Amino acid sequence: MKLKFKLSVAAMALGAAFAGSAMADTKAAMMAMGRDATPAEVKAWDIDVRPDFKGLPKGSGSVAKGESIWEEKCASCHGGFGESNEVFTPIIGGTTKDDIKTGRVKGLEEGKSIVPQKTTIMKVATVSTLFDYINRAMPWNAPKSLSTDEVYSVLAYLLSLADVVPPDHVLSDQNMAQAQARMPNRNGMVFYEPMWKTHGKGDVKNVACMKNCETEVKISSFLPDYAKNAQGNTAEQNRIIGPVRGLDTDKGKSK
Amino acid sequence: MSKDLSDVIGRVLPAPENNLSPEKLEVARKARRSFMGKALAMGAGVAAAAKAGVAAAAEGEDVILKLPEHTTGLGLPVAMNPYGVPSKWEAALQRRESPGLTRVPQASVSFTPLQGLFGIITPSGLHFERHHQGWWDIDPSKHRLMINGLVKRQRVFTMDDLMRLPSVSRIHFIECGANSATEWGNVATSSVQYSHGMLSCSEFTGVLLSTLLDMCGYDKKTAKFILAEGADGSSMTRTIPLENALDDVMVAWGMNGEMLRPENGYPLRLVVPGIQGVSWVKYLRRIEVGDERYAAKDEAVHYIDHMPDGTHRQYTGVQECKSVITTPSGSQTLLDKGFYNISGLAWSGRGTIKRVDVSVDGGRNWRTARIDGPVLSKALTRFNIDWVWDGKPAILQSRAIDSTGYVQPKMNQLRAVRGTRSVYHQNAIHSWKVAENGEVSNVQVF
Repeated sequence: MKLKFKLSVAAMALGAAFAGSAMADTKAAMMAMGRDATPAEVKAWDIDVRPDFKGLPKGSGSVAKGESIWEEKCASCHGGFGESNEVFTPIIGGTTKDDIKTGRVKGLEEGKSIVPQKTTIMKVATVSTLFDYINRAMPWNAPKSLSTDEVYSVLAYLLSLADVVPPDHVLSDQNMAQAQARMPNRNGMVFYEPMWKTHGKGDVKNVACMKNCETEVKISSFLPDYAKNAQGNTAEQNRIIGPVRGLDTDKGKSK
Repeated sequence: MSKDLSDVIGRVLPAPENNLSPEKLEVARKARRSFMGKALAMGAGVAAAAKAGVAAAAEGEDVILKLPEHTTGLGLPVAMNPYGVPSKWEAALQRRESPGLTRVPQASVSFTPLQGLFGIITPSGLHFERHHQGWWDIDPSKHRLMINGLVKRQRVFTMDDLMRLPSVSRIHFIECGANSATEWGNVATSSVQYSHGMLSCSEFTGVLLSTLLDMCGYDKKTAKFILAEGADGSSMTRTIPLENALDDVMVAWGMNGEMLRPENGYPLRLVVPGIQGVSWVKYLRRIEVGDERYAAKDEAVHYIDHMPDGTHRQYTGVQECKSVITTPSGSQTLLDKGFYNISGLAWSGRGTIKRVDVSVDGGRNWRTARIDGPVLSKALTRFNIDWVWDGKPAILQSRAIDSTGYVQPKMNQLRAVRGTRSVYHQNAIHSWKVAENGEVSNVQVF
């Protein structure tokens, strides 16, 4: 009797679930997937630093300390002064005291560069970017191994090389804003919404002419013979059947 | 195969697996232009073929008349390759590095061999690679996705959790923002693999990011941006517009019916349709909901557009409408005069491809190509058009138009606005020159 009663109650409950709020129950069950992150877990992973310094950890480091860390862990790739173009593109160089005043790097204008290759400090507008990147991804072969104070130190050293901070400077979360105010290209970025929004419209226009279109049909650039093999013998990069074959660029080279 | 077979080209005998040098192609073509030459070429062909045992006398070809081993013998057993691999004859089509382009192989690129692919789907093993600090094959049981920031509940998901959620499968292209960058100034690459090969298209399976954001209760009043972060050494971060995050952005584990390949972010990556590949964060470990852009390294130092006035455009993620002819394309050679199917790819980060036009005279006259495969939003679209090559020089171009009405620009139109010093978002009409000897090469014409 008792058992029978229980079963019928269960059956009724099941019936109600099916008839009434099956959708709501599905949604609730789905919303329950996953679990809450613990504060320690969020702290361990949430390391990003924004341009407004949200996320910047408390700490400090001197140019002098940064120089010794640099010598030990960074210079072999980036050169002693962040100038090397051997392993990675250069970090420091190409900015002037005048750029620090204006916040626009003159060397980014056509034909005005004072170094052969654009450097990081010529481009980057936000000092937070440098802190964030050193902190998350450097050194190259041991990312995230620097302490917070070591990150401040290395950044202080780099900024001193670009005259953003003086040689006796101690960089900290308290004075990062002052460094930001002297970044050489801080006014050099433009936000252009049509290239940010997939629903935008681009800035370059063409019209789809079909017949006798106005064009010179002049070849303005072509690959010189000596460069044809620069990316390997294209004969070996094409299928052995089909409408075409790869050109034997090895033989072309020896010609 | 006998080396002498390279004396023969075209219809007399299909070219064998060894390739023809430009000199030999020219010799053979000249020979075939006269009756005597033709006879000579045929004679040479027959002689060479006889040596090689491929063709025979008047009654027909040896490959038909003499039954080969694969017709008369016993073939191989099932499951010999538990995970199938391409035919050994297809070994030429591989993703390749461009020598000298980068100096560190862990922060480098390998290019997809577009010159040999069909349709719109890129085989997973040929999907281009771009790593910022080397790639990993992560234990998926230990991978976690965290969502934090402007949400009611900061959540952690295992792969088990994610793969139980409602999933979608969608076909999208992924193109590196620096694809075709080498061509901003001058022609610098030999083939379409290197000029356009940071481009792939796959069917991705995963959960919509909007589903996850709903589950965490994102703050609808203050949230404006998403930060995506990877679990690898570079822990790549990119700012994604919330508008995209709520529209079609996916947190994906599947690619072309199987799990993502390690080089492409196994076990989890972001799929950001229409936006440059750098935003498709691999080894995705964290999504932060925020109210400001983040100016991450790859949106403050790289992936910014250097404009003629010395400024840089920041946060320019959209891959605008573009197309390229893949067959025939640079550093290939046509086998003979006569009929060809010009084939290529078109795509737009802003929607679907509406039309593709093809010119064979350097842009003076255009014909509309056939699109007879799938036409999907923010996916590669294959186009084809008939062409009879008369043996005269030709310049082949394709021009795509997308669903917004945008017409793929000419290089001079692009340069007039963006200059020549930019690295990113080069989507100009591309030109291939066909020379009288059938050689196809990369040129700029506008």
